[in-house]
Amino acid sequence: MSSLEAGADDFAYHEAPEPRALTPASPRELKQLIKDWRAGRATRNVLQAMSDAYVAVFGAVMIGAMVVNVVLKAQRTIAQCSSASCLSARAILPWAAFAAIVAIALATSRLFGPVLASAAEGFWLLDAPISRAKLLRSRLVGAVLAAFLGGGVVGALVSALTGSGMVEVLVWSGATALSAAASVAFAAAQQGVERHVLARLAAYVFGVLGVGALFSVVGVAAGWFSAGLLDNVGIELGVIMIVASALVLLVSAVLAGLRLNRIRRTRLVSGGALVSGISGAFFALDIGLARDIVVERRAIERGHVHPRRGKGLGLEALVWREWQRLWRFPQPMVVLAGTIVIPYAADALGMSTLTPVFAALALFGATIPLLGGLRVLTRTGGLARCLPFSLARIKLASIAVPAILAAIWAVATTPAYLGFGDGAVQRTVPDASMMAVATAAAGLLAAVRWTQAKGVDFGAPMVASQAGAFPPGLVTNLFRGFDVCLLTTAPMLLGLSPFWSLGIAAIAATILLNSMDAEALRARQAEQQKQLEAQKKQRAEASAAAKQRKR
Amino acid sequence: MAKRTTILKVTGLRRAFGPNTIFDKFNLEVRTGEAIALTGRNGAGKSTLLRCLVGADRPDDGNVQVCGNPMSETSPEIRRDVATVIDDLDFFPDLSVVEHLDLLARAHGIADPDELVDDVLEEVQLVPQSGQLPGTLSSGQRRRLALATAFVRPRKLLILDEPEQRLDSEGLTWLSQRLKSERQKGLAIVFASHEPELVDSVATRVIQLGAPRG
Repeated sequence: MSSLEAGADDFAYHEAPEPRALTPASPRELKQLIKDWRAGRATRNVLQAMSDAYVAVFGAVMIGAMVVNVVLKAQRTIAQCSSASCLSARAILPWAAFAAIVAIALATSRLFGPVLASAAEGFWLLDAPISRAKLLRSRLVGAVLAAFLGGGVVGALVSALTGSGMVEVLVWSGATALSAAASVAFAAAQQGVERHVLARLAAYVFGVLGVGALFSVVGVAAGWFSAGLLDNVGIELGVIMIVASALVLLVSAVLAGLRLNRIRRTRLVSGGALVSGISGAFFALDIGLARDIVVERRAIERGHVHPRRGKGLGLEALVWREWQRLWRFPQPMVVLAGTIVIPYAADALGMSTLTPVFAALALFGATIPLLGGLRVLTRTGGLARCLPFSLARIKLASIAVPAILAAIWAVATTPAYLGFGDGAVQRTVPDASMMAVATAAAGLLAAVRWTQAKGVDFGAPMVASQAGAFPPGLVTNLFRGFDVCLLTTAPMLLGLSPFWSLGIAAIAATILLNSMDAEALRARQAEQQKQLEAQKKQRAEASAAAKQRKR
Repeated sequence: MAKRTTILKVTGLRRAFGPNTIFDKFNLEVRTGEAIALTGRNGAGKSTLLRCLVGADRPDDGNVQVCGNPMSETSPEIRRDVATVIDDLDFFPDLSVVEHLDLLARAHGIADPDELVDDVLEEVQLVPQSGQLPGTLSSGQRRRLALATAFVRPRKLLILDEPEQRLDSEGLTWLSQRLKSERQKGLAIVFASHEPELVDSVATRVIQLGAPRG
């Protein structure tokens, strides 16, 4: 009898005896088990790994010591300064750092979770009949601690570099550390109830406060108003911020802890996937890829948009789409507008000579998000291949809108180069305009270079080092963009005419906008070389055949 | 009957990775209205050959000509004439499905592309997803969008790498009919496929690459 013809009796089953009640493992036991497995597979311990990488460790210690030394020296020098700009910086910049750190901590927490789990943990552990809160508590504590340490270091650096005394440095460091930790705990409490509006709103508010504080530095230095009360009560205000931040931290941490059980697995795992993607990209020092992952994640969060009809034909259509894309995600333009204050602040703080460098670096960072189109069109050839234009023209169309914005930025920053802070270098309007244009060109071109950088070629010949072999591109990739910034602004730094900078920018633009076509040229050269070798081979064969015939 | 002109001419193409020769002395001529199917087991070199044909990979030897012009991935003329759907197609993360198609059509000079874009969206069954950003599409929907990019623009040669991938049976039937109709209208097509139904209904010639599985 075939199985298909089986009667109903064949499907009868015997009731199995009641299974013995099992006691699930505790989260602590499971974590210990995983730790044992991982430790069991390790081939060397931390000390051995560090002794292998002793050059890197030694280098890090050396550089760390140098940085501390520089900070202490700068702190001592600036502490003696008594001009309005120095005093205003000392009074207001810690506030700017405080606000910026809170904004960054909130935005980063919202992006990653801040509580997260890896895909493996999501699959193997989060489905187990154990308390999810116990499993995730260490993650929450870890995130809060990391924010505390990061915030503390930044707060200490900013207040030290503005010449504050040791007590003030400690107070502001504590305030910034606690505020960063409170921000992460607050975002975690929001994550527990699947609400992000408050965290997002708070991030924007503190971002605006940070830029506002920078404007205040400029205003005080320019004599528009005085720092007044802030000059003398820095420590008291810092202590108030410590108390306020500690209260927010306490309440948020308790709420976040109580809500840990409620966080959905998908939310936890998506944060973990983002971290693993980004950390993979960082291991290859491919920061562009790390940014692509974040951009993709933001787009997925948005998910759906109201489609807009395009405009124009040919390259014009591409330019219009760039413009529409920027309006769809306008945050980068807000950041770009915020960077206008940088050259003013640098000038106000008496760093006239360094203003072009700082301003170009700020514009470089702010322009990268505006070049999303260029990034997509150059990271793989697929999309560019669908468009009937040369790569050079595609690149020009992709950077048209950011270039217009950079030009507006140049106009808006021109007064900063006229010189208005204490001891600032005074310049004529044409000179200041040229400097602003050259600085804007440096920032824009640096961003173009960074954006179209290819990932590291691990197939290329390796360079030997104490830490093992690595492709040279791994290191040079880190400096992409910064090199253009520094090279273009170097003449202004050295007190030469800004026309030199404009000349360097023109050369950089020619190279950057034609770099892919240069690859095509190389391909053509290789093709010609191949044809020459084939002809040589044919001639050699023909002459060998002729010799054979003679014999 | 219209005279068939040569669209793609491949002579003596060779590609090797180290000691492993993928193909050597490969010749091919594709004229208008012809559809060439490349078949063969995994690793036979179908995708590598297609990548060489579209200029995404550089052959070690041989020549590829499209409409009499030597193949160069950066040439605007080649990009105008050749529509490709291979595995390296990328999307703007912040442009919706319909905006991608609108952009491509406009970039190719189609003045009022709304009707064409709507028709293609309808065909690839992405109308409900027209406002979605690419990151939210399933792999099958992304594949359909990739195929749609080839149909909203003018083209003389269509190169597809396993276009049936991730399509359901309904999608496969649509693709067969669409490619057949494109061929009958005079388009030259080269495609790699593992799907016998697609090969049978579309191809005018089948080229088996690599040794058959023993």
